[in-house]
Amino acid sequence: MRILHISDTHIGKKDHYNKESLKIALKELEDDDLDMLIHSGDLTQDGSLKHYEKAKKIFDKISIPHIIIPGNHDKRSGGLSLFKDHFGSPNGVFESQKAVVIYVDSAVPDTDIGRVGMVKYDMIKEALAEYCNKSIKIVVLHHHTVPIPKAGRERNVLSNAGDLLELFLKGDVDLVLSGHRHYPNVHRIENTVFVNAGTASDKKTRYGDINSYNLIKIEKKTLTVRTKRIDGSKEKKCFPRKDKRVFYDFGDKIFRVVHTSNTFVSSSPKFLQTHFLNALKIINSLDCDLTIHCGGVVEEGINQNYELAKTYMEKFNVPIIYTPAGRDINYLGYELFKEYFGKMLQSYSNEEVLFRGVSSAQYDSPEGYIGETQKEELFNELEDQNRSFKSVFLHHNILPIPHAREKGLLEDSGDFLREIVNKRIDLVLTGTSSHPSAMKIGETVVVNANSMSSVYQRSRYGNSFNVIDIYEKAIVVYEINSLWGNRKILGVWDRNS
Amino acid sequence: MNKAAPNFYDVDMPIRSFITKRLIGVRSKSSVQEAAKKMVEFNTGSLVVIEDEDIVGFITDGDIKKKVVAEGLKTDMPVKEIMVKELITADISSTIKDVLEIMAEKNIQHILIDEDDDIVGIVTFRDLIDIKRQKLETYISRE
Repeated sequence: MRILHISDTHIGKKDHYNKESLKIALKELEDDDLDMLIHSGDLTQDGSLKHYEKAKKIFDKISIPHIIIPGNHDKRSGGLSLFKDHFGSPNGVFESQKAVVIYVDSAVPDTDIGRVGMVKYDMIKEALAEYCNKSIKIVVLHHHTVPIPKAGRERNVLSNAGDLLELFLKGDVDLVLSGHRHYPNVHRIENTVFVNAGTASDKKTRYGDINSYNLIKIEKKTLTVRTKRIDGSKEKKCFPRKDKRVFYDFGDKIFRVVHTSNTFVSSSPKFLQTHFLNALKIINSLDCDLTIHCGGVVEEGINQNYELAKTYMEKFNVPIIYTPAGRDINYLGYELFKEYFGKMLQSYSNEEVLFRGVSSAQYDSPEGYIGETQKEELFNELEDQNRSFKSVFLHHNILPIPHAREKGLLEDSGDFLREIVNKRIDLVLTGTSSHPSAMKIGETVVVNANSMSSVYQRSRYGNSFNVIDIYEKAIVVYEINSLWGNRKILGVWDRNS
Repeated sequence: MNKAAPNFYDVDMPIRSFITKRLIGVRSKSSVQEAAKKMVEFNTGSLVVIEDEDIVGFITDGDIKKKVVAEGLKTDMPVKEIMVKELITADISSTIKDVLEIMAEKNIQHILIDEDDDIVGIVTFRDLIDIKRQKLETYISRE
């Protein structure tokens, strides 16, 4: 199957719309092998009748099957009804013999934010169930699910991106197509490829980039994305369509790390003491080399909590290193954290492994941010270190977490994620939003921890922590229930070669 | 007679979103003891058996108990000798209900899932009942 994927054409007046660029993109349709065209939104500049009429004239000439969804610009000034009049339903399912394309309007009228409400979420879920036998499953949304780099002031993803990401991965969606940020980007998470198109014909491009579009080829064993810019330059990324499912050769185990978060130590009922003490007993029996606490050590950054936390944390029989959450450093916590648990930036290394902490917490705020300066220092330092396994840990998540909205997502997650993937960092540990998850993006395994011992947790299996076993040839992530010690595998992946 | 479906999940849901997509394997010439060690290490009750990169069999902790320990046989015998060669599988498009029915009919608690003739995952009876467990836990752990 071959798809021409364009986005953000912004058809309208000359000050925005570069019609010559769109002509170059649509010239690809002369290739007889193309099966369909997908436009992932922002068809028009301002959703006005004039712009819709202009767009209609252009797209009426297309003879192959095509899907066009609205973006935020198309819904300006009540533009949705005009979209429907000219291009039909903004949501739906297109079915061919082998493929299904589920397309959903993610724009919220008169704002730039993206959202897929519960009704549309269920629509995608039901469509994925109904068409689960199709060998190619594609979802189209205007807004991005995975943070993208260089996105300027609006960095964040769809407000319920975590729920959608989980749905796409569980439903074995092959391809998710989006636009919106006018910057082409491709990520592969597990078996799903997330493709963001740049703008095909808006003069507003980012970081000196020029107009571009994607040509996507899906074959039995591979999925190839070619990003073509209007100057004729191309970038190609090719991915296998099925990831490795059977693991039997692990080599020797080289390191075991416990990964925990949101212990919430306090004298309030939000701190579950029994859970903490049981988890502690289990961790101390696990023969692990290191514990990493990804923040939320105390419920609030006050002295009595820190005193209590210190007595609890001293019971661990393995070294623990920490990175704070916002709640750890509010009130007097900024001073107390250092007094009781050491430096803000902590790390551990031996001859083979390196775990480097990153400070993402801001006091009196749940928001997370790394910043350019810290990011540069971090990656320079990681590059200088000669270790076969490099890991970074921080409180805020860098991929969206289910049931958690986007509030725990690092503000500059798009840029950070891109760098992590490009530098092939082996492992990233995070600890916001109390939902256990583990997934591989590019060559990097990203693991989030549930709350180990607070009432606020989001795992249907109860409070938990993670254990990560690093073998010579593989990495295995387990979720372990705090109360009972039950262990379940969250993921197994080959180590980077 | 139509029986009421359990209320904790829709039994007509495709099994695809419930499967464990990672399978732990053991080589066919490995000993039964090595297989048991792997089950302990990865906390799993079953392993796929591999020969030349292909899945040629399946072994559960129950097989080790019944076919080796209870019979007084030595655990250094190869896995190949006790593995189940005829794999019981369910297609990835099956519903939870289909899978439960196969489990009941064959009297098994682990079932391999295939898609286009490839094994792509596993579902265990435990996976399906685990979903219900948290309510019990919340009740027990009230402080």
